Amino acid sequence: MPRQSNPSSETRDAAPQTGKIRRLHLPQKLRNLELFLLIIACGINLGAVVLVQLGALGQIDTTLVLLGASLSGLVFAMHIVLRFVAREADPFILPIATLLNGIGIAMIYRIDIANAESGWESAAVRQTVWSGLAIACAIAVILIIRNHRVLFRYTYVAGFVGVVLLLLPLVPGLGREVSGARVWIGFGNFATFQPGEIAKIALAVFFAGYLVRNRDSLSMVGKKFLGMRFPRLRDLGPILVVWALSMSVIIFQRDLGTALLYFGLFLVMLYLATGRLSWVLLGLSLFLGGALIASQTLDYVNGRFTNWLDALNPNVYDADGGSYQLVQGLFGLAKGGLIGTGWGQGRPELTPVPQSDYIIASLGEEIGLAGLFAILAMYLLFVARGFRIGFAGQDDFGKLLGVGLSFVVALQCFIVIGGVTRVIPLTGLTTPFLAAGGSSLVANWIIAALLLRLSDTVRNQPRLVV
Amino acid sequence: MNPSELTLLVLRLGFLLVLWLFIFGIVYALRSDLFGQRVRKLATPAPAPAAAGAPFATPPPAPVPAGAFAQAPSASASAPTEQFSRPQSAPPVSSGPEKATTQTATRLVITSGPKAGTEFPLGSEPITIGRSSDSSLVIRDDYTSTHHARLMLWHDDWMVQDLDSTNGTFLDGKRLAVPTSVPLNTTVKIGATSFELRR
Repeated sequence: MPRQSNPSSETRDAAPQTGKIRRLHLPQKLRNLELFLLIIACGINLGAVVLVQLGALGQIDTTLVLLGASLSGLVFAMHIVLRFVAREADPFILPIATLLNGIGIAMIYRIDIANAESGWESAAVRQTVWSGLAIACAIAVILIIRNHRVLFRYTYVAGFVGVVLLLLPLVPGLGREVSGARVWIGFGNFATFQPGEIAKIALAVFFAGYLVRNRDSLSMVGKKFLGMRFPRLRDLGPILVVWALSMSVIIFQRDLGTALLYFGLFLVMLYLATGRLSWVLLGLSLFLGGALIASQTLDYVNGRFTNWLDALNPNVYDADGGSYQLVQGLFGLAKGGLIGTGWGQGRPELTPVPQSDYIIASLGEEIGLAGLFAILAMYLLFVARGFRIGFAGQDDFGKLLGVGLSFVVALQCFIVIGGVTRVIPLTGLTTPFLAAGGSSLVANWIIAALLLRLSDTVRNQPRLVV
Repeated sequence: MNPSELTLLVLRLGFLLVLWLFIFGIVYALRSDLFGQRVRKLATPAPAPAAAGAPFATPPPAPVPAGAFAQAPSASASAPTEQFSRPQSAPPVSSGPEKATTQTATRLVITSGPKAGTEFPLGSEPITIGRSSDSSLVIRDDYTSTHHARLMLWHDDWMVQDLDSTNGTFLDGKRLAVPTSVPLNTTVKIGATSFELRR
């Protein structure tokens, strides 16, 4: 498409004319704001680790503090890269991601202390190394992808990669099953990875590109019914394919959360592209129907529903695979109260997997409702920045991609935190940036990098101020 | 040297406080997104728009007399518009107003308002107009909405769409209700500013 590549060269032509004025008015204002916020975020991260040590050990141990400092160094490296290659990128995304990541590491470290793990055994050290790797990936993405429109060319490649990554854990010999869900791949005994986390980025790119190309047939025609325009039967193909895909994730990978994540992502992007509520209704009823059938026929889905609805029943609580974990998490949250027990002074290790799926309950216990709301506010701001990029965007692909990527973070938060707090049935997903897990960190940092890139290319330089 | 209960309590509260200060810091930095740009009062019209717009002002095309740009700001709001549009629209008048397409329209010229006489090149990207600083054409006066209108391309034709603005967008004096294609050299009026698309 010649017209797609045209705008970038055009803005370059216009740059010499506005260059002088831009330099006069904007001396990297956004980047300086980002630097300021980053310094605060790194300070809070350091404070969290120090408070954990004071609370749990009673003294300050410098080794992990040094490790955290090296991570801060990498974040500042990313900031400097942004100064050169994405001057107009959003100034809030990087500090928020840094802070969430750091709080996560502090919490994981706190649980390591409780379990008396250290060195490479300890999840905190591994998480720190993974964070370093993830930030390095983010820097690479910023450096390689100079304009998000490049991704538009690889729409179908991205779709293919996404589906392959999604199905990879089903390959015999490569896939690994961890606590029932077959969503991992591993080589030998080490380096397990959850390819589905990366798949969500590839699928967001694919959905955005596909919907920009085909939305006319999905939005223009159809019969009116109940005040809404419903699509024609033959246009239902894409939604049925994605529905079948997510249902197969439920059946073969036994992972409810991932399925909900992908389907929700597609539905939101479809709604965004067509502006028709009927798609949402259609999609939701399809998914609810599927989930209802699954809950009747599949044991593990049925168990999740029982644990959710009847959590405090002693029989369910004591049953194997019962609601023990869920209720322990709730007890932890209750113990935390309004301001928490303080870093290092609660007992979050009593809940199974307190550092990954249940990190929100652990945090709720130690920093309380006030801290938990602060974390939720950070997610809110992160997602709102993504939506803002979609709103300010000029090209439809960028709009869809920006909103899709940030919505996937929002939905993932809702699924995990909603599960832990017993709003919806519990399904295992990682809390973005916080929870222990390398693949999730890498995926979310790449999302942050893509949002930064989008906000830079999308941010409209005023051509003229009257 | 175990820290005392009180120290830990103070540190705990301090941590939460700093965490919330961080969040309020971000929200404070975002305030223009939430509440819109500050309005500039129209009471003091910029006295020297020609100087301010100097980098943009290019030599006018042949049919327009060179002195016309200098007169523009001092004249009343609507007068210079006609002054500009007449000489240019005269030749194609036999075939009705010509549509502005990516081929025919190359620049957007401000014809009235504080920055009358300035212009910038049109590309093939849509142009947003409004008070918010992320608009392509930022118009900061009392009559402009944050996201007021936009110029977009429909099969290479320039269309203007009003984005539910409070005070409306006027194409050749008529308030817009639906996206309408913009002919060349026809005035689009937003607030106290009007502009034209030109060859």
